[in-house]
Amino acid sequence: MWRTWFGTGHSGSARPRSELRVGIPRTLNVWSTHQFWVAFFAALGLQPSRIVFSSNTSEEQGRNFGRGRGTVDCCYPVKCMSGHYGELVFGQKRKVDILFSPMIRSLPSLLSGHVVDLLSCPRVMAGPESTKAGFIREKDAFAEQSIRYVAPLVCLAEPVLVPRQLHESLADVIPGLTYRETRAAVDAGFAALEDFSNAARAQSRDILRQCARKNDPCILVLARPYHMDPGIGHEIEVDLQACGYPVLWTQYLPTDADVMDWLFGEDIRSGDISSPFDISDVWPSSYSSNTNEIIWGAKVGSRIPWVTCVIRLASYECGMDQPTFSPVQKIVESSGTLFFSFQDLDCTKPAGALKIRVETIRHYVGQHGKRIITRKLAGLGKPCPFTV
Amino acid sequence: MSQVRPIGYKAYSPRPFLKKDREKVEILFGGLSWRAENVLQALFENLGYLARPLPPPTREDLMLGRELADIGQCCPTSFTAGNLANFLRTETDRIGPDAVVENYVYLTAGACGACRFGQYRQSYELALRGLGLDSFRMFLLAQDELDQGEIAGGGIEMNMPLTIGALWAVLCTDVLQSLEYQTRPYEVTKGQTDKVVRESVDFLCDKFRKRPYRGKKLGVLVWHLTTNYFVDALREVFDRFKAIEVDRLQAKPVVKITGEFYIQTVEGAPSYDIHAWLENEGSEVYPAAVATWFDYLFRIRAQAIAEYVGIKPRARIELARIKGLHYLYGWAYNRLRAALRNIPHEMPSQSELRRLAAPYYHHRLQGGEGDMLIGKALWAHLRNKAHMICELSPYGCLPNTMSVGAMAGVLGDHPDLLYAPLEVKGDAEVHALSRCQMVLTEAKKRAKSEFEAALEQSGLTLEMARERLDAMPEMKKATYHVPGHGWVGIGANLVTELARESGR
Repeated sequence: MWRTWFGTGHSGSARPRSELRVGIPRTLNVWSTHQFWVAFFAALGLQPSRIVFSSNTSEEQGRNFGRGRGTVDCCYPVKCMSGHYGELVFGQKRKVDILFSPMIRSLPSLLSGHVVDLLSCPRVMAGPESTKAGFIREKDAFAEQSIRYVAPLVCLAEPVLVPRQLHESLADVIPGLTYRETRAAVDAGFAALEDFSNAARAQSRDILRQCARKNDPCILVLARPYHMDPGIGHEIEVDLQACGYPVLWTQYLPTDADVMDWLFGEDIRSGDISSPFDISDVWPSSYSSNTNEIIWGAKVGSRIPWVTCVIRLASYECGMDQPTFSPVQKIVESSGTLFFSFQDLDCTKPAGALKIRVETIRHYVGQHGKRIITRKLAGLGKPCPFTV
Repeated sequence: MSQVRPIGYKAYSPRPFLKKDREKVEILFGGLSWRAENVLQALFENLGYLARPLPPPTREDLMLGRELADIGQCCPTSFTAGNLANFLRTETDRIGPDAVVENYVYLTAGACGACRFGQYRQSYELALRGLGLDSFRMFLLAQDELDQGEIAGGGIEMNMPLTIGALWAVLCTDVLQSLEYQTRPYEVTKGQTDKVVRESVDFLCDKFRKRPYRGKKLGVLVWHLTTNYFVDALREVFDRFKAIEVDRLQAKPVVKITGEFYIQTVEGAPSYDIHAWLENEGSEVYPAAVATWFDYLFRIRAQAIAEYVGIKPRARIELARIKGLHYLYGWAYNRLRAALRNIPHEMPSQSELRRLAAPYYHHRLQGGEGDMLIGKALWAHLRNKAHMICELSPYGCLPNTMSVGAMAGVLGDHPDLLYAPLEVKGDAEVHALSRCQMVLTEAKKRAKSEFEAALEQSGLTLEMARERLDAMPEMKKATYHVPGHGWVGIGANLVTELARESGR
């Protein structure tokens, strides 16, 4: 009451919900879960237009807003968080009331129930803690800007835990927030995430249908969700798309039963795997959610005939990707699919080198694409779900 | 039409190690202190296995690990993979590759989850393939399961007699190590402590080798918890320490070692020999106990279950069960510690570590030591356990880097905390040690002024204190427990104790 009347508290707790502005760093696993967060806050009565995401990662962003805030020398996707935080704290024309940076411990995944665990990378889940340290070590930059910093630990792979985790962290920040409405908002968030994923998968299926109809090649990207950030993945897939090849992302490959049976039916019947989403034959240490999906994507990419080329993106110092390099390459190349790897991606876009490599890929896909499709098609049974 | 399946790649899967081969196949293992490894070897022998620890890891192991596996992997994996590879290569030269794959299997901890350490079977596999030993058998065991049953062929039974015995081996050697590190810096006769420790380890090995059989299930646990077998063994070890004369009337900084599990545990090349280096530089090292890691494993299990209380039926009962086991574990440690008259360091309370770390690092952030690194640094600082924290952070360690990052916030709030985070690459020793020395200089100053303050407060000069000490020969034995009087250093506490004793 005192805070509200005399304005000594943080603005976040004093304003009605519809007026609250929430800033979310556009980083790491927010790239694959932002639909959840937008729907969640909207269901709580916040205006979607007042949910502000930081810009795509860029060197300028880091220079202007993150300089001197870094506390850790690690992979760029985590290191760049300082710039995102800084942009939301210091770079908004209309100030945010809440900086919301979820520590996503585990992720919802299409492989849920088929793998050992669905954890985030330790650096990714703890990224908000080390980034926060850079904003509080000398003085509390959030408090100075009257911003409430909220970083709940969230187990998105265990939906029953999420309402409590989010309610505990937000009850003090969003006026009058109840557990019941938090639970309803979480349900809305998961529904939005599922709708988006389903739509994206349907779109991927359409792309494959078109490829099948014209017998055209396409390219599959194996990467972590945040490589969609132009400042992290450097839009390599965009350059390839400009060459005329449709691009698919692992996270949104079609998972329909007919497709899965076409690709994996024989393996299941022979007892090699227990389901199309079982990766234990190639990757028994299946703890990391994004790693698991990359491995599964490699298996799918090696089978789908029109995926004639697989592109692997990995950031410099990515400890989660490092043990997977050999298995992924071996899985993909085992079917004669072309494999190109862009490792050690960092903050600077190596434009010249990328151009040469994109040209190389275009050459090989153009030269060998049709032959690869024919060979891979011959290895699969009928009927093909993309042509019926 | 039958399908041509495109998967040519299969994950490594070891050939079975059959029960009947136990007598001729030797189990290789490593990754702990030499004390624990020796006692574990004795435990394996107690259970009818042939086993031996790998040789101490060296710089050559690091280089070979990098060469055979992957240069981007974290430093502990380069050391452990290289250590195994070097041993196997030497053995291959001696007896040939066929005999090596038949005569040895490798057993190591794995499956730790979030951290990529759990995925390193891939690195070992690459190293084995690089040596042309693709069919060598390597088994990973979960570190948080007491009864994992038989593994691949039944050659090794990961049952209660083995896991509980291994746990007690670690606890016994932990308390011994703690006593050793509080003795050696002050020993009057150089080398005497090492000699006594060597004899003590041999003695403990003998006790573990002769451990009586108490079944394969719960009876084993109950026996370990209630028997005086290990307590008596440690009392005998304590008696051996009585022969060591020490001079504790010195201002030595206490340096608490924290960091990634392997690097902080293994003394030697993987940690730049930092333990020995710090002692040579005039410090008392507060080593990292493996027991604290197991204590943490209980906590993370309890934390995960606690989240489901009120959501999942029986979660409360399961939580009570884990907390009960956790309590018994702490009790068992303290019982062994008491056998050495409570001189070995206590285990910090997990709930306190969690509470201290909470403003900076969430307790459910998983991977490596989680919030413990921050918790331990603050605990040691605020509870006057050490003058300085030396955090050993391996190159490429995912979770450790994040703790080091979050420590920036801790240092903002506690600028007087002397903290030396060292990135350990295995081959950049000068840089790491000189960095450590800078902080150590401050720690030495702090220890010195604390010692002087203790003298001043007690109204003694150093000469007077020494005279009084000479008059009390019992206090010059390594087995004399200097009570804490609020100082960090044992020298300062001894000064206050001397003043108190004389005043009686």
